[in-house]
Amino acid sequence: MVKIENLWLTYPGAAAPSVKDISLEIKAGEFLTLLGPSGCGKTSTLRSVAGLETPTAGSISIGDTVVFSDKQACNVPTHARDIAMVFQSYAIWPHMTVGQNVSFPLDVARTPRAESRKRVAEVLAMVGLADLIDRSATQLSGGQQQRVAIARALVRRTSVMLLDEPLSNLDAKLREQMRLELRDLLKRVGMTAIYVTHDQEEALMLSDRIALMHAGKLIEVGTPRELYLAPTTEFGATFLGAAEIIAVTRCDGDMAETEVGTLQLARTVPNLASVAIRPEAIVVEPAREPAAVGSNRIAGHLTSVVFSGRQQQLVVELASGRKMNAQVDAMRNFTPGEAVQVVLPPERLMPLYKDPTP
Amino acid sequence: MIQRQRFTPLNIGLLLLLFYLVAIPLALLLVASFKPSGLPLDPGWGLVHFRDVYGDPGFYGLVGNTLVFALGCTVGALTVGGVLAWLVERTDLPYKGAARVAIALPMVLPPFLLAMGWALLASPRNGSLNELLKNLFGLDTGPLNIYSLGGMVFVETLALVPSVYLILSSAFRNMDPALEEAAMTSGARWPQMIRRIFLPMLAPALLAAGAYLLIVGFLVFDVPGTLGMPVGLFVVSSRIVYLATDQSGGTAAYGQIAAIGVTFLILLLGLAWGYRKLTAQASRFVTITGKGFRPRELRLGAITPVAIALVLLYFLLAVIAPLGLLLWTSLTPYLAPMSWDMLPKLTLDNHIALFSNRRLGAASWTSIWVAALSATIVTAISLLVAWSVLRSKGRGRMLIDTLSFMPLAIPGTMIGMALIYVYLTLSFIPVYGTAWILVIAYVTVYLSFTSRAANATLIQLHPELEEAARTSGGTPAYTIRRIVLPLMMPALAGAWIWVVAHVMRELSTALLLQGDDNTTVAVQLFSYWSGGQPNKAAAVGVWLVLAMTVVTVAWQWLSARRPQAPAQ
Repeated sequence: MVKIENLWLTYPGAAAPSVKDISLEIKAGEFLTLLGPSGCGKTSTLRSVAGLETPTAGSISIGDTVVFSDKQACNVPTHARDIAMVFQSYAIWPHMTVGQNVSFPLDVARTPRAESRKRVAEVLAMVGLADLIDRSATQLSGGQQQRVAIARALVRRTSVMLLDEPLSNLDAKLREQMRLELRDLLKRVGMTAIYVTHDQEEALMLSDRIALMHAGKLIEVGTPRELYLAPTTEFGATFLGAAEIIAVTRCDGDMAETEVGTLQLARTVPNLASVAIRPEAIVVEPAREPAAVGSNRIAGHLTSVVFSGRQQQLVVELASGRKMNAQVDAMRNFTPGEAVQVVLPPERLMPLYKDPTP
Repeated sequence: MIQRQRFTPLNIGLLLLLFYLVAIPLALLLVASFKPSGLPLDPGWGLVHFRDVYGDPGFYGLVGNTLVFALGCTVGALTVGGVLAWLVERTDLPYKGAARVAIALPMVLPPFLLAMGWALLASPRNGSLNELLKNLFGLDTGPLNIYSLGGMVFVETLALVPSVYLILSSAFRNMDPALEEAAMTSGARWPQMIRRIFLPMLAPALLAAGAYLLIVGFLVFDVPGTLGMPVGLFVVSSRIVYLATDQSGGTAAYGQIAAIGVTFLILLLGLAWGYRKLTAQASRFVTITGKGFRPRELRLGAITPVAIALVLLYFLLAVIAPLGLLLWTSLTPYLAPMSWDMLPKLTLDNHIALFSNRRLGAASWTSIWVAALSATIVTAISLLVAWSVLRSKGRGRMLIDTLSFMPLAIPGTMIGMALIYVYLTLSFIPVYGTAWILVIAYVTVYLSFTSRAANATLIQLHPELEEAARTSGGTPAYTIRRIVLPLMMPALAGAWIWVVAHVMRELSTALLLQGDDNTTVAVQLFSYWSGGQPNKAAAVGVWLVLAMTVVTVAWQWLSARRPQAPAQ
């Protein structure tokens, strides 16, 4: 539905490009999230799709229409693109009522009044604001403004919806509730969505696929499950959640020489830079007999135990001096200073390749 | 790779317009100063005018007077305005609402009327205040002489205090008390806190106010023209008007005027550049936290009556006394100081005569339509300027910003002179001597104020409000019409009324560009005054103040109605 090819964007006067050679294809009906730290180029990419920024090079097509191409010297203006957008600040026009805000896209398109009224009522009902149609936009709470912004984007019935950190201004509780509501709503109307966020939890919960960006470049693309459980870069491993990165010095088949000793991997991996493991995948056992070779057991002792109800956060200092964070079940009683051994299960060791140089 | 910015049609149009309004007049002024005949298109080049001007010992007296006048009223207004702003914003002064009105009200009094009021009060011959002092102390001559440099500085100070008050009170108000509290909780005592936190935070606003006042002090004509010109005491602006209008030889000394103008313009543009840097810096300091806070208030205690007396004294000197005298003079059949003996002779004849005076009717009509038209044009241009500078990504927007700001530093007298050069040169545009040349002059003169007002408003509108309209399918023009214009309307209407009020009381430009059928009310009033008909002048003045009050109240009302941003 949306196809981005070799997109480059350099802001006028800026020395370095903000978007570097991004290529992405988003299927019809898919919910794709552009995820990355601030300044990574995700918003610039989204705004290029909207036509609010003019890329330096590359091409973008929406549906069957090429909306931007430097080679064909084509640049369809924002208002003529088949998109709707929800902004971080909601951008609710303060001089209009809720109804006027939502009907604006229909006024622009000169939709007959009867149909316009019907469609406005329909989308307001969808976002649960049917009663507030005559309310002044300045009298809304943050969550209500958010819903008006979504209704305004839905009412146009475009193929693609662009969302720029739409939940970041809401408080934590409301944000969690709106997340699932938003996903349900978009799936119900079958719109293709491109969603920008820096919140990895939000990205994991909402997306069909996540495109991870860093310093203007696309680092990894995959389903939430793929990216969380099997990232291929160190940046991907650490950005989507906590990860212990273990440097690899030499690799022989499925056996890796690492800074903490020899580790058994689940499979043979070429071009290996390091391996990573999530703290919740690390198993911590009481120290018993010396570890069996090949079982990925390493002796150490606990330097800190923090109980947080749902789980316990442990810090284990290994024999090599390396410290590792582990999250374990709350039931087992650990004490600081206790001698333990950690188990790094081969199927949970995530092989990482060298980060593509920026 | 650095992307080249492109010129957009809007930017090209604005650049051409601003070049025409601002750059061409200044260029012709510069050229004229090097022409022996003093007219831009005449043949030959030379430094004869600069030699005349710099070689004349009187010139240095003129420069000295101008400096004393500008510095004097800057220091005076900064002191008085600063103390008043501090009293109202940062102490527990009672009746603050009334105090605010009392300090801001003098704005409705055009400075030349303030000067006339004070001439009636403190003229050495028969000023009412002088008479009073003579009777009280048994003096032979009146002790006060308003027709002096000191008198000019005093009256101009009174006129400038409200502007200083407005600048500084908002600076006082915007200071988050948490910053001061943080200093106190870090162990600082009051004096340390004032020295290390309060004053440094206030410094940009103080310096910006000072630079602004200095610019105004260098370019105002009203007060020096009313109080200095009749006794041959000149500053640069009044000298230019004098040379341009009062030459006995017939033709004005255009070459000399241009040479003086160029000299001072360089100084003023330097000051304006400094002012701009300072205000840019000041806005970095502004601490808008979004949550409402009350500034820390100092308890006045025993000196409360002194503080109240100070506010009342200012109100008395800047409004009650001069306006009272104008009213009195408008009711007397001939010029007479205030006295009980005159009471039975008071008459409404002067006022009644106004309404059957044809010249005055024509002048009023000219003032009104010139004011309305120039305000409309200049407001429309500044909306486009602001949008182009802040929103468009086209090339040349820094130049647009600079050109629209420059008129701040160009005295009305110099715009007037420059336009004379332009339309004597481009004589195929037949506006010389008509009211249209006034419209062009006022659009130029007030461009910097309105475009800064429009800028300040547009900068507060989140760009996403416009982007939301464009992603909703609105074209750029539709977006400006349905979103930008309605949201900026209160501010633009405020700027419009401000321009109307200022055009209606503007004197120097109208005086310079005076022709057969473009006399304005202010010019008519001034000619009654300088032509020895003070009672007639006072009567016109009273009605002008009344009109200004109505307009100013409307302005206050509109500028209080800012568009309310939705709660975040």
